[in-house]
Amino acid sequence: MNAIRLLAIPVILSMVLVGCNPSTSSQPTETDVPAATQASEKVVITFWNGFTGGDRPTFEALFQEFNDTHPNIELKVDIQPWDTLGQKLPAALASGVGPDVSTPDYNVGTIWQYVNSGSIAPLDEIYGMEPGKIDINAMPPEVLEGFTRDGHIWAVPVNFGTLLLYYNKDLLAEAGYAEPPKTMEEFQEYAAKLTKKDDAGNVIQYGIALAENQTIPMWPILIWANGGDLTNDKGCSMLNDPKTVEAIKSWADLIVNEGISPVGLTGGDADNLFAAGKAAFEMNGPWAAGQYGPAGINFDVAPIPVGPAGAVTLVSTTPMVMSASTENKEAAYEFLVWWISKDTQRTLALGAGFPPARTDMADDPAFSENPLLQKFSAAAPYSRLYLPNAELFSQIDVDIFQPAIGRITRGESADVVLQEAHQQLNQLLGCPNQ
Amino acid sequence: MSHLFPTQRTQIKTIFGRIIPRIRINNAYLFVAPSVLVMTIFMVYPIIQALWMSLHDWSFVSPERPFIAFDNYAELLQDPRALNSLRVTTIYTFISVPAQIGLGLLLALALNQPIRGVKLFRSIYFFPVISSFAVMSIVWKFLYDANIGLISQWLVKLGLPQINWLQSITWALPAVIFTGVWKNIGFVMVILLAGLQGIPEEYYEAARIDGASRWSCFRHITVPSLRQALIFVIVITVIASLQAFDQVYIMTRGGPLFTTETIVSYVYHQAFRLFRMGYASALSWILFLIIMAISVIQLKFFRYHEID
Repeated sequence: MNAIRLLAIPVILSMVLVGCNPSTSSQPTETDVPAATQASEKVVITFWNGFTGGDRPTFEALFQEFNDTHPNIELKVDIQPWDTLGQKLPAALASGVGPDVSTPDYNVGTIWQYVNSGSIAPLDEIYGMEPGKIDINAMPPEVLEGFTRDGHIWAVPVNFGTLLLYYNKDLLAEAGYAEPPKTMEEFQEYAAKLTKKDDAGNVIQYGIALAENQTIPMWPILIWANGGDLTNDKGCSMLNDPKTVEAIKSWADLIVNEGISPVGLTGGDADNLFAAGKAAFEMNGPWAAGQYGPAGINFDVAPIPVGPAGAVTLVSTTPMVMSASTENKEAAYEFLVWWISKDTQRTLALGAGFPPARTDMADDPAFSENPLLQKFSAAAPYSRLYLPNAELFSQIDVDIFQPAIGRITRGESADVVLQEAHQQLNQLLGCPNQ
Repeated sequence: MSHLFPTQRTQIKTIFGRIIPRIRINNAYLFVAPSVLVMTIFMVYPIIQALWMSLHDWSFVSPERPFIAFDNYAELLQDPRALNSLRVTTIYTFISVPAQIGLGLLLALALNQPIRGVKLFRSIYFFPVISSFAVMSIVWKFLYDANIGLISQWLVKLGLPQINWLQSITWALPAVIFTGVWKNIGFVMVILLAGLQGIPEEYYEAARIDGASRWSCFRHITVPSLRQALIFVIVITVIASLQAFDQVYIMTRGGPLFTTETIVSYVYHQAFRLFRMGYASALSWILFLIIMAISVIQLKFFRYHEID
């Protein structure tokens, strides 16, 4: 035997092994847990989520409370960063070894790939008027709509976070503004005024921290306020619609010419900028208040300034889904129903600052003490989800929309870039090009 | 290669003092077997598996994985983003390798002298090599930040304009390359240092007696003696540069408008964000073939196996 033959053996062996593997994965097997064992032992349900942020302690306390009040169920929670979760979950759920309950991503559009691969179960049974179920009338309608497809509801909302305008009261007062802007025109004017540069021309204070990538979306709000959008009712691109183009162009011009915001910010960068007192405005959700307070920023929140299309803001709701191959359906249901219960939502709202994911708690006395919470809740009626039914969410947002914004805010012509992006998007969505 | 596998005719086996009859199987193969097994499972098998996957429309989430022959490769040739990643990787390699070799050689020469604290300096320069690249990338990301980073602060104090390094389409790639070079210089330095210390002092003495200048010494003694070590570091740094990923993923995610998206970064995007494993495998195999071709050419060109 010489060296070549020595090398050949592992290679041939590998080829045989590869060829022998079927290229279709086996279907997950469903096993029925006998009722007897469920009653006598603790049922263990696993929950993977991505709540690593400032509100993590509130979540963990709630999970502990569930375990304490439900002696026959043990909830095992695994908290990971969102992108790690997004990588591990598809394979885990598809192969039947995934967690019973999970939050695939903070963007609703990401659950559709799991629906298509049959990895998650429809949750219609969980909604209803009977006790022990989630009161369907208490659910925000846009959330239910965003979670519905083919006549089934596929998720339960963890929370309901609207975006409002955070503003630095000190920086505004310094510039002579007693009140935050009420209209989009004022918003742009204030942002330009609040941008300060040093003698060398470097920006030392930004009007607004406008994040472009890896963030809860902020640009769509500016587009919606003007009456534009990324996609229309038919599911085709609206990127070259005059209202969309006008909205993007007006803000991009301010960024390029006045430098009101840094370019290419991630969500985290934007939060850091505001928390460092170097930006006067940021559109953000209730979770951020927990970061800005300790950072010593004298801030408040106001409704997003109104544009020609009327009041609008973005709502972020994290979907919880249930694995299609879970063996502990009843226990998982119990957890999901408990999560939406008024007591849990009240604790969550007070602890994390999110409005409750229920529409019937607006008059709850516990919330009257918390002005921030009331403001975020008040925005619920006119809030919208971002690309809720888009299966190709990643491709639309990360591969087409964000690079387009990136190019325009670096000085390229909005008309040209958006026309290109419009064609790319239509091609992706399978729509005819106009 | 026969000298590496001595036949049993040259060995006499004894157990308990008794000479046992010759056996056919050579000991050497048994010694090598565990390593070969590990390499087969963790290197050879995944490579073959990737080739198999690249011939299918292989998605992580869908059970349907139809055979599509070379469609993935055809799509690659048309994909502007894949071609861009080839371009970025090429630029990365062309800048990173000479920088690492040149600076590493300078460091090795400098630290080959018996100055005080030389061992400390060698450790300091080698430290980045053994540190976690992910952690270091996060540190560098903060350093490069235009608003809260130290680099910007120092440069502004020197009167230079404030640059948002990782968000600038001109400066993001140089910034990322610099971090990569910083990470690996220590490795090049250590290898070349070992090579330098193997050069007999007599050569230099003889040269100096003959009136050779410092530069002549360097050109005619140091560099030829370092040939094996230099070839080694060149091949290794080229292979590593072609696979650049860690700092790109952490610092720029493929960068402002794809200006730092290397091949592996794009493979990651296709595989773990879009779940198109077949397409990602095809791109990985293209990279594999490129690296193999370049390495073979380099070894042949430098005549690595010849001993002068």
